[in-house]
Amino acid sequence: MEFLRRWWKVVVLGLLLVYPWIYRAPYYHSLGFKVLLFAMMATSWNIMGGYTGYKSLGHSAFYGLGAYLVAIAANDLGWHPFLSAPLLGLVVALVAMVLGWIMLRTSGSAFVISTIAMLLIFRLAALNLRGITKGAPGMSQPLPPWTPEFSRMPFYYYMLLWLIIALAVSAYIRRSRFGLGLVAIRDDEGKAEMVGVNTTLYKVLAFGLSAYFVGLGGGVWSYFTTHISPIFAFDIVVGVDMILMTMIGGLGTLWGPVLGAFVLIPSEDFILFNFGSTSIYLAIIGALMIGVILFLPKGIIPTVEMWLENRRTPRAAHQDAMSMAEMHGLVDTFDKEKGK
Amino acid sequence: MHFPSMNVLVQVAVVGFLTGGVYALMAAGLTLIFGVMRVINIAHGALLIFSAYISYWLFTLYGIDPFVSVVVSIPILFIFGIIFQRYVLSRVESDPGLGVLVTFALALTLEGVMGSLWESTGRSVRTAYTSEVIKTTLGAVNLRLPVVRIAGLGAAVVALVVLFLLLKYSNTGRAIRATIQNRNAAQLMGVNVNRIQAVTFGVGLATIAMGGALFSLIWSFNSGSHEEWISKMLSIIVLGGMGSLPGAFLAALIMGVVEAVSAVVMTSYLSPIVFYLILFLTLIFRPQGLMGVKIRKG
Repeated sequence: MEFLRRWWKVVVLGLLLVYPWIYRAPYYHSLGFKVLLFAMMATSWNIMGGYTGYKSLGHSAFYGLGAYLVAIAANDLGWHPFLSAPLLGLVVALVAMVLGWIMLRTSGSAFVISTIAMLLIFRLAALNLRGITKGAPGMSQPLPPWTPEFSRMPFYYYMLLWLIIALAVSAYIRRSRFGLGLVAIRDDEGKAEMVGVNTTLYKVLAFGLSAYFVGLGGGVWSYFTTHISPIFAFDIVVGVDMILMTMIGGLGTLWGPVLGAFVLIPSEDFILFNFGSTSIYLAIIGALMIGVILFLPKGIIPTVEMWLENRRTPRAAHQDAMSMAEMHGLVDTFDKEKGK
Repeated sequence: MHFPSMNVLVQVAVVGFLTGGVYALMAAGLTLIFGVMRVINIAHGALLIFSAYISYWLFTLYGIDPFVSVVVSIPILFIFGIIFQRYVLSRVESDPGLGVLVTFALALTLEGVMGSLWESTGRSVRTAYTSEVIKTTLGAVNLRLPVVRIAGLGAAVVALVVLFLLLKYSNTGRAIRATIQNRNAAQLMGVNVNRIQAVTFGVGLATIAMGGALFSLIWSFNSGSHEEWISKMLSIIVLGGMGSLPGAFLAALIMGVVEAVSAVVMTSYLSPIVFYLILFLTLIFRPQGLMGVKIRKG
């Protein structure tokens, strides 16, 4: 136990490194790639939705934008997606910051619907700017040069690398002044501003950062599937998946989005494989989302942590729970329950 | 872009105006719910499609006209609304962001359920009077007005008047308006705010049942259509000023005309972008809309 507690990250990383050699069928490599891709994108969404408290439903806009930029760069300029995705992600982040600078004048539900409107504008633009995007049929790009049986493996390792980078960024933010500012904005924006946090700058930076990895992910995904079209590139469900993963694992926690992706993506695959219907999948994630919000509002990680703490030291349990709650920004809920 | 003749433009604008009346009914429940509960019901579009399906199946299987089948769909949606508010929405009212996510999740669930039950073919109710038109003149312009749209506008106006009278003169209506104005004060005056919220959600869904019946006569739909329609309704209530019924009515008529005109000017593929741009820009630069209060924060 003690060994696992200290070294679990190394153990998990080791397992992830050998996984493609244990499960050698391309199907497993694709599945692994998808899990890592979404873990990275959910980690990225969490910077805005979890740390800062601004829940965007329109992150698919950045996913689609990244996908199109990378595909166009590959077709017209011959840029390799593995190199261009991190670069063009910067363009996506810049676009997000400009849009964020406008949209972040709103908050709460007004912010949520403005992000939906943003996504729909992007999708319509992609459908109609036929000169650039080739319209509804979509566009293809060159296939990867690797032999078919290993064609998925480079994607897997490439994504693993970027997941680690995204996690490192997320972890660094949590401990930095910048991250504290973001959490302060989430807890009480007015007070944060009063104590000298430049809330507009912080929010715009966090929004840009949370768009960066999503844009990058979209770019890699477009290389992975080789053919993209507006309906799939700007699919709102991609953004919903990020939210749901983060909420399942634990909103505003470092590992929550990753855990959520490892739970949700394989289940999604299982459902699609067994029922063969996207409609049933939609119904299930919708119901799951309601269930998570109602019955597991803190997510798996904070719930388990609190439970473990309580078991270990019953006397200090309350205090621990309080500080834990404070960390995850749940103090309000606690005060309420105490008052009952 | 191309600019059609005056004749076409007037014809299109008048039909757009008729459509705007139906939009007003569709948006009324959404803005009412926001006014009372400060929650944006993203599931409104999916519930619209769901009630349109009820009308469609009652017509297809039993030949019941959508104007009659509302006696079935209104109670179903009213009761569903009360139950959903009571057991789901009321539990997340502390965080408006979560409220939006919950209703969004409901929309996904409904889309999924409808998509698995029924095929994705576009459906619409085709009655004997569906393709009838009334010919009339306005000044020098000859107009051809589809009967269903006139009937739709008529039914929408009747429903909105009933809603208005209920809000204005019944005790529950007074309590609803009081809650919109000031929730805490209403509670102190003895209004059971929790009950009022549940009733409002039920009433909001009842109006969408009526809207769905008209919808099934005019447009074709499948389970995925709700995304497009919720965006239209959202831009209407945001433009009108969230929570304001007169604002929604005015904005619906404006948007009906703007949409119809932009469809001939810009092609109907691109015209929805007008809705999204209006939604986006109003939220950001005039969050109180035409007739509402500021909602930028909250």
